[in-house]
Amino acid sequence: MLEYFKTDWSAMTTSDWVGLIITVAVFFGMLITFWRALRPSKRKELEEEKYKILDDD
Amino acid sequence: MDTTVKPQYNDGVVKYLAVGAITFLVLGTLMGTFAAAQLAWPALNFDIAEITFARLRVMHTNTVIFAFGGMTLMATAFYTVQRTNGVKLWSNGMAWVTAILFTIGLLLVVVTISLGMTTGKEYHEQEWPLAIAIALVWTLYTLNFVMTIASRNKETHPNVYVSNWFFLGMMIAITYLYVVNGLAIPVSLFRSYSLFGGVQDAMIQWWWGHNAVGFFLTAGFLGIMYYFVPKQAQRPIYSYRLSVIHFWALMFGYVWLGAHHLQYTALPDWTGSLGAVISLAMIIPSWGGALNGMLTLSGAWDRLRTDYILRFLIISLAFYAMATFEGPVMAAKTVNALSHYTDWTVGHVHSGALGWVAMVSIGALYHMVMKLWNTEMYSMKLINFHFWLATIGTVFYIVAMWVSGIMQGLMWRAYDEYGTLAYTFAESVAAMHPYYVMRTVGGLLFFSGAVVMLYNVIMTIRTANARQEAGVAANA
Ligand code: HEM
Repeated sequence: MLEYFKTDWSAMTTSDWVGLIITVAVFFGMLITFWRALRPSKRKELEEEKYKILDDD
Repeated sequence: MDTTVKPQYNDGVVKYLAVGAITFLVLGTLMGTFAAAQLAWPALNFDIAEITFARLRVMHTNTVIFAFGGMTLMATAFYTVQRTNGVKLWSNGMAWVTAILFTIGLLLVVVTISLGMTTGKEYHEQEWPLAIAIALVWTLYTLNFVMTIASRNKETHPNVYVSNWFFLGMMIAITYLYVVNGLAIPVSLFRSYSLFGGVQDAMIQWWWGHNAVGFFLTAGFLGIMYYFVPKQAQRPIYSYRLSVIHFWALMFGYVWLGAHHLQYTALPDWTGSLGAVISLAMIIPSWGGALNGMLTLSGAWDRLRTDYILRFLIISLAFYAMATFEGPVMAAKTVNALSHYTDWTVGHVHSGALGWVAMVSIGALYHMVMKLWNTEMYSMKLINFHFWLATIGTVFYIVAMWVSGIMQGLMWRAYDEYGTLAYTFAESVAAMHPYYVMRTVGGLLFFSGAVVMLYNVIMTIRTANARQEAGVAANA
């Protein structure tokens, strides 16, 4: 298992680093989004949005 | 009584785009049905180069995806952005220029493809002058959309409704994906070579290719779903918070999936594995979104019995859920080893394309026609008839492709006791005949439904004034 995850950091190219950083940033971006959308204190404010389109025309 | 003054919207361009979309649905499904018939009876290409399967297939994909799908996206985006933000379009003139140039551009795309001019890149066959023109027109569309949102009254509309997020996400993603994949060196007016080579070219191509599905055919149509399902059902979407999560998960996730088109190729193995893993992860937001749409009806399911437009919208979500389950399964390497290069893929594409994209569009287009011309449809019965033609046609198509695809895959990998292939390729082609006939029948049903829709919409428009006057007279 350790062998499988072994990484030769010195062999990382610029593209590898860019890819790695984007992947990790996206992961945290997702976590933050889930937290922001699902926190109970925001529930009322967010759910009110959905009624607004019902009489727009 | 409601005394608030509703703004006058710029609906002329939306009307044009809506009728254009329905017309292209008829033309695109006609080409698809003809292509399907050629696979069943090859003599039907009549030895005419312009309509041989190889060209007809690409004319079909460009007509349904870009002409029908693109015009539907433009019509619905221009329609909804005005209503959800309470303003007219930022520039009505620019919207008209966008719509007209887009129509001309796509007609030229179809003609040049039939003449054999192609880059050979799937969903990006347009040669460079047309590709640049399309990218510019697309930018006008995006700019107008963004500026319309920006010009809203922030006191009355402090927040931007979620359908706009999906539309905007789609527009931005498609712009950069299309431009990067299109980078090429022109050698003549209608010939160019991709800037990328080998494995990089394949990777960039499927990064675009899968996102043509993920953003153009999914995110954009989810924008449609998040507006038109609540409006047609006259109930708010089940959960706004779920829609927020659905949006961000799609935006973050979809761009990683392309590599699942390249399993067992020269690409590093981990790329395909990553593509497969993220594909599986996408089931969660996709099903969350599908349920969000369907549960909007909870407590009012009986409406499906009488509201035929709502039926189109809700069945589209069932197909969306089905296709977004099937896709990740096919991305897994073991399944992909069987399904890739077979008709199973074509069946999967059409359960999304017919069941999801076309059905949700049809529902939204019927809804808009009634609102835009301020009238009931000419015939509700014909909408019901259309619903059944489309549904049965889709089921015929995908069942035929499941059977033929899995059969092909199994025939190609079957060995006899000496370790040699049990079937020749030609034998597998011959075995497909009954399923290709069945698909043609399914296509014919779906196409007939599109013709019924066009007729119903034309009659609605032609008789709209008379019916409005009759309504006023009856009320007087
Ligand atoms: C009457 C309805 C339709 C029929 C009969 C039909 C038929 C076909 C046929 C015969 C092919 C070629 C398959 C092959 O190469 O073996 C095809 C490909 C394709 N069609 Fe359709 N089609 C229909 C509607 C649509 C619609 C509405 C869309 C999109 C909104 C669509 C999207 C596509 C795509 C993306 C492909 C390429 C699939 C791939 O590369 O695997 N089709 N269609």
